[in-house]
Amino acid sequence: MTQQDHSPPPGTQATGVAPPVSGAPTVKQTERPHPLTPFIRGWLVLVAIIVGFGRDLLPNGSNDRDLSVSDLAWVLPVLSLVVLGAGLIGFMSWYFTRFVIDDEELRIETGALFKNSKRVAFERLQSIDVIQPFAARMFGLAELRLEVGAGDSTIKLRYLSRSNATQLRDYLLARASGERASRAQATLGPAASPLTDLTASDRPIVTITPQRLVGGFLLSSEWLVTVTITVVALGVAALNGVVTYALPGLIPLLIGSVSMIGRRVVAMFHFTLAESPRGLRVTRGLTNLTSQSVPVDRIQGIKVSQPLLWRPFDWYRVDVDILGYGASAGENNESDATSVLLPVATSVEVQRALDEVLPDIDLDAIELHRSPPRARWLHWFTAHTLRYGWDDAVLITEHGLLSRVRNVVPHAKTQSVRIQQGPLQCRLRLADVHIDTPRGPVNAVARELDEADARALAMSQLDRARAARKLDRNRLAARRSPRPAAQLGQTLPERSGDSPERSEAAVLAHLGIADDAFLGAGSESRVFALDVDHVLRLYREDHEGPVQVAAQLRALYDYWAATDPGFEVPRIVDAGECAGRFYNVDRRMSGRNFSGWLAEAPESERRVALLSYLRVASSIYRLPSPVAGFARLVGDGAPEHFPSLAAVLSAQLHRVIGASQARLTADLPEVAQVWAQWHTDIAGRVSLPYVVHGDFCPANAFVSRGPDETPVVTGVVDFSPHTLAADPLLDVTGAICFLELESYPAAAEDAAWLTEQAVAQLGEDIRPWIAVYRRFYGFYFSSAHRFDQRLYAWCLEQLRPSPVIGPSS
Amino acid sequence: MEELFAPPAYEWKRLSPKYRSLRRLTTVLVAPILFSIPAILVGVLTGQWWISAIIWGCAAVIVVLRLLLVERNWRSWGYAEREDDLYITHGVLFRTLVAVPYGRMQLVEVESGPLERAFGLASVSLHTASASTDATIPGLTPEEAARLRDRLTELGESQASGL
Repeated sequence: MTQQDHSPPPGTQATGVAPPVSGAPTVKQTERPHPLTPFIRGWLVLVAIIVGFGRDLLPNGSNDRDLSVSDLAWVLPVLSLVVLGAGLIGFMSWYFTRFVIDDEELRIETGALFKNSKRVAFERLQSIDVIQPFAARMFGLAELRLEVGAGDSTIKLRYLSRSNATQLRDYLLARASGERASRAQATLGPAASPLTDLTASDRPIVTITPQRLVGGFLLSSEWLVTVTITVVALGVAALNGVVTYALPGLIPLLIGSVSMIGRRVVAMFHFTLAESPRGLRVTRGLTNLTSQSVPVDRIQGIKVSQPLLWRPFDWYRVDVDILGYGASAGENNESDATSVLLPVATSVEVQRALDEVLPDIDLDAIELHRSPPRARWLHWFTAHTLRYGWDDAVLITEHGLLSRVRNVVPHAKTQSVRIQQGPLQCRLRLADVHIDTPRGPVNAVARELDEADARALAMSQLDRARAARKLDRNRLAARRSPRPAAQLGQTLPERSGDSPERSEAAVLAHLGIADDAFLGAGSESRVFALDVDHVLRLYREDHEGPVQVAAQLRALYDYWAATDPGFEVPRIVDAGECAGRFYNVDRRMSGRNFSGWLAEAPESERRVALLSYLRVASSIYRLPSPVAGFARLVGDGAPEHFPSLAAVLSAQLHRVIGASQARLTADLPEVAQVWAQWHTDIAGRVSLPYVVHGDFCPANAFVSRGPDETPVVTGVVDFSPHTLAADPLLDVTGAICFLELESYPAAAEDAAWLTEQAVAQLGEDIRPWIAVYRRFYGFYFSSAHRFDQRLYAWCLEQLRPSPVIGPSS
Repeated sequence: MEELFAPPAYEWKRLSPKYRSLRRLTTVLVAPILFSIPAILVGVLTGQWWISAIIWGCAAVIVVLRLLLVERNWRSWGYAEREDDLYITHGVLFRTLVAVPYGRMQLVEVESGPLERAFGLASVSLHTASASTDATIPGLTPEEAARLRDRLTELGESQASGL
């Protein structure tokens, strides 16, 4: 290779073709809630005040400090001031609220003086509610409310336009279930009806008629108790002739009943439980429309209850535990999220709902055990109603004579198991077993068990919970991978493996690969020979990252297929998933691994091959970059753009340095100066952005025999998150300095010789820059202290301060 | 009954013996101070110092009873780390055995108040998504507390599963 070969070919960095690597725009688009938000909030305050004052303004005869109409003269200005203030505060909070919901992140920024930025992992979303208070509903606005799980407060975005809110909800639900959806796709979904917030793709499971809702309310214990107290109090007052004095005392009862009607009837009006593509959806409300979406696997427990008077009608109420719902103090506020799955439903409807929540589980088939008769001493009337039982998916406890309650907890959701015993129970040799679930209506306690049974139940429940958790983990991992291979045209077996060995064996057996086809292993995958032209790359079980990387690499390799840089690059011809393991089918590279070849090659051939190795290293830049400018090309969030060479390299170092900084400082006290010096040095390097492999070493090169039997490096593999659009000299440096790490005896000598060759070919002025890039690799691979002491020692060697290093000295 | 709260295997690990001294000190301090406030108030305001004497008498009885129970309470505490779960037992009259799977732990906390520090003690709390998981081990030496925290965090990470 000659000097002018290294000069950039025109047009490489700005290819007109669209980038194949999926990614986001360079500048993040932050959004604000709808501009009408402050007005709605001011309006809500006004309504609250009117209701508050209105209560006093109403003439009710008995109240001695009621306001007269003349007071309005001063009430009105104060009122408008308060509303204005509320509007101003609303405006400030609207102005400073910004949010980003895109393919990479969910971030909300609030606060004028105290800035607060909250970023939430999509996987942590527990449920997503769209709430439309009456005022907002009239303007076609809605509030988006996100529950993010234990210990974190609810995230509220108010107000958004209704269509925007529902689209965001659909997108977030898709991401919460682990799908790699794109926000652009989510906007294409069918529009939701403004009356019911159900889209065409939602299938209603249960709809509660107003008659039943009101009937259930009138027969509920809470209502009957309130009514009874009122009637008795009035009756007593009437007998004594003091009704007028008793009336003020009844006002709290009256307010209580009104709010009860609000919660149980108005808020539950038009209650519909529907099945949406991403779990269950509850929509309800007469004036305020609330729509809650809960992924089925986020339900932590279920409670089915039946008050005494509902029994003749075969009515039940179903509540569920959702993380975050229980944390809000008011359990059943009108607009707040509630844990009600069905307010009043018949046993058939309950069964239909349970089939959705707990598919393939027949609760009635579970054998129930009773508490021993001596429990009567502690529970005089209800001892015979205490029952518990389990199958391989759920645990059930039952109790209650007048109001029957059944709690169901899926084993996988068991948070902890407790045995408790008080002094009386100790006498009777009884104990309670608590299956702890997140805060909420479900409270699964197997009460008054014989001691031996209690111990057995608690210990076996831990085993069942463990098995269920493991199953859940595997299921989740399976769902997060892309769909199965289409090109191989085979139906893949259901995931069978629990252990990595078993699942690997299953994949190999399925694809008809013998065990001895094993070629080699990397940190993320194992490679097997598939046929003459292809290899199978089987990723490790925990493959969330590698799957994304593999998809990006596939796009990158496809993009490069049209160019001939003078060496082979990999092609991924197929990808898929089998038995819970993700795999690629790669084109097989010709030749053999350069690292293995070097260890055996005679010295005469070695130097020849090394020259071609250097030539390949200095021609990787010929691969077209899919993006313009300096960038990180592969990995989470790629392509990530940077304004300069120094910025992209510094960002690469910052991604890894956290893991090794402490260790480096301990081993090399001067490392901080070296770090600062390196940053000064790199700022002086001028280069155009080209594709850089980032980890070009003998192990990532392939060597073949040329036509005249001379060894030639013909292939480059393992492009990875190290791959950048940056200075091509990085790969030349990598080729030289990683040669030093080869284990054959003359490696260091060859590396020194190769440095001289590189300088001879590319010019004396690259020598100081090789030194700078050696330090880059020294920092970049310093996290090796955790897994490769030899590499770490090499890194330390690069980082020792030396007086002659660097172009600026 | 012993079987009900038996350790899952081997023996329970016990709290530091110094925890007894801490309990004795808090027993002697807390009840008399709490009871003295109403006693003195009643005495000063009404002049009926015999009421105060009764209140103080109650405090004395409580202190004596609790002092007698310190040893038993200390002995009732125990914890055991097993492959997948942490077991904690405690209580004399109201006895509890709680088992927390490592995969369900959200947070491990080490706390040490001024009194605990004076005795060279610390406590470790485990939190799950459930508020009713009551898993706190008091009266550990700081080294044991730190070891337990690191071990639990490590196990929790390796076995963590989504909610």
